[in-house]
Amino acid sequence: MKKNNTFNLKVDVEICQGTAYCVRVAPKLFKVGQNSTAEVTKADPGQEFEELIIEAATLCPTRAITY
Amino acid sequence: METIRDLIPPPHIEGIKHFVDFASVDEILRSKNFRQGSHQESQPFFGDSLLTIDQDAHFERRRLQAPLFRKEALEYYEHKELLPLIESALQECKETRNESGEVRADLCALVRTMLARISAVTTGIDGVDSQERTDAFRTYIEQLGTGATVEWSTEDHSTVISRILKIREGFVDEFYNPSVARRLDLINKFRSGDLSEDDLPRDLLTLMYLHWNDDWDDELPLREATLYLVASSQTTTHAIPHLMIHLHEWFEEHPEDYEKRFDREFLKRAGHEAIRLHLPSPALLRIALKDVTLSNGVEISEGERVACLFTPANRDEKVFGADARKFNPYRDTANAKPWGFAFGGGEHTCIGRTLVTGLSARTDNDDGTDGTLVNIAHALFRAGIQLDPNDLPTYTELSHHDAYGRFPIILKDL
Ligand code: HEM
Ligand code: SF4
Repeated sequence: MKKNNTFNLKVDVEICQGTAYCVRVAPKLFKVGQNSTAEVTKADPGQEFEELIIEAATLCPTRAITY
Repeated sequence: METIRDLIPPPHIEGIKHFVDFASVDEILRSKNFRQGSHQESQPFFGDSLLTIDQDAHFERRRLQAPLFRKEALEYYEHKELLPLIESALQECKETRNESGEVRADLCALVRTMLARISAVTTGIDGVDSQERTDAFRTYIEQLGTGATVEWSTEDHSTVISRILKIREGFVDEFYNPSVARRLDLINKFRSGDLSEDDLPRDLLTLMYLHWNDDWDDELPLREATLYLVASSQTTTHAIPHLMIHLHEWFEEHPEDYEKRFDREFLKRAGHEAIRLHLPSPALLRIALKDVTLSNGVEISEGERVACLFTPANRDEKVFGADARKFNPYRDTANAKPWGFAFGGGEHTCIGRTLVTGLSARTDNDDGTDGTLVNIAHALFRAGIQLDPNDLPTYTELSHHDAYGRFPIILKDL
């Protein structure tokens, strides 16, 4: 969580395996990029995304998502 | 003592194309062109469980089970369940104090007891408490594990399946049915407003019965529970003796590090190294969904089974450095997961990984959890674990796989 109450959403590309499970639960926040790993598409998502972010981070098989 | 051995490829992968380098294993596990290839014959035990389903069905099941591994759930589990269970298993060891005041134990047996109880809690099986009940439960899990890996058995496979199905009836009567009945009762109380959701047990069986799906057959929770029990206990039980022997040798060679035996970050790195080097299962199988040509030019035909050998892949010098075959808790693994493929990869990556290695801080302002390996190692050092120089650990003779059979220890501070 950043000072302005937005999430510091990140994908660790060394860990991500491109399963796209994050994209399936939160297409507004992630996409699978050119190198077959996930990318965050929305910079600094706000509080309204909290549940979605936690669900994606927990569901991610490799737990590559931090926030 | 020899503590790192080369993999002897298991007989069941003879004739199957297999991959030993990091890059090919990574490519296969990530690829959408392969599906799960293990557990073809073990359907009565694992059929339709998370491990054996793919694509949409897998995504939905994993989504259902993911809340068990949320940050709060992991913190609750670590503090309220794991730590007390480790402590009580150690306290029970005190009862074996000999005339000279020493507490001696076998690490393999101690860890099996701890993990039987821990896996019962995460799965939702009650009554794994006294040593007698724990031993009975543990024996059931071991037998169910034999059923789940019947593909590799040298006995007649249908004989194994019917024998283990008979044994499973005992498990169902003694442990499973009473645990399910209690959960159904609690869920009814929750539904009628007599109990809050927070008061429901946080385990697999509660979750499945709470979110029952009419497409499931009645026995699916039993098979899913079997997967959880086998997958969680035997794997961690395999890892701890390796971790402790490596630390023992490391401290002998680096006495200046001995004070780090209580340093959780150091223990975490040591745990990663132990599981990177010593895999509970030598090979993972996948089946090609169509003709595939890998980046290295190897061609795999549609329907072909391939084996990923994690032991050599996890010792690949291109990824883990020139000393990849050695245990080194200071290894820099910036470009890879520190445990390599110990937890598999792709969609089927181990769902329980965070229970084992802990969850590193998810957010900028919390600490995460430490996981089973660190907590057990820490507790053993607090109990003053020492090897007996006259009775060193020995490998099991029961299988050619990399596991200890006897591991005598002295717990000098208990
Ligand atoms: C040192 C400990 C462990 C190791 C080395 C380990 C290893 C693995 C591996 C390699 C896989 C992938 C299998 C495949 O792709 O075919 C896996 C899957 C799985 N593991 Fe673990 N595991 C460990 C602990 C646990 C624990 C504590 C649990 C408890 C919940 C667990 C539950 C599972 C389940 C349910 C799966 C199936 C996941 C899926 O298919 O989506 N494991 N594990
Ligand atoms: S769910 Fe995880 S592993 Fe899969 S693409 Fe998203 S970040 Fe990567």
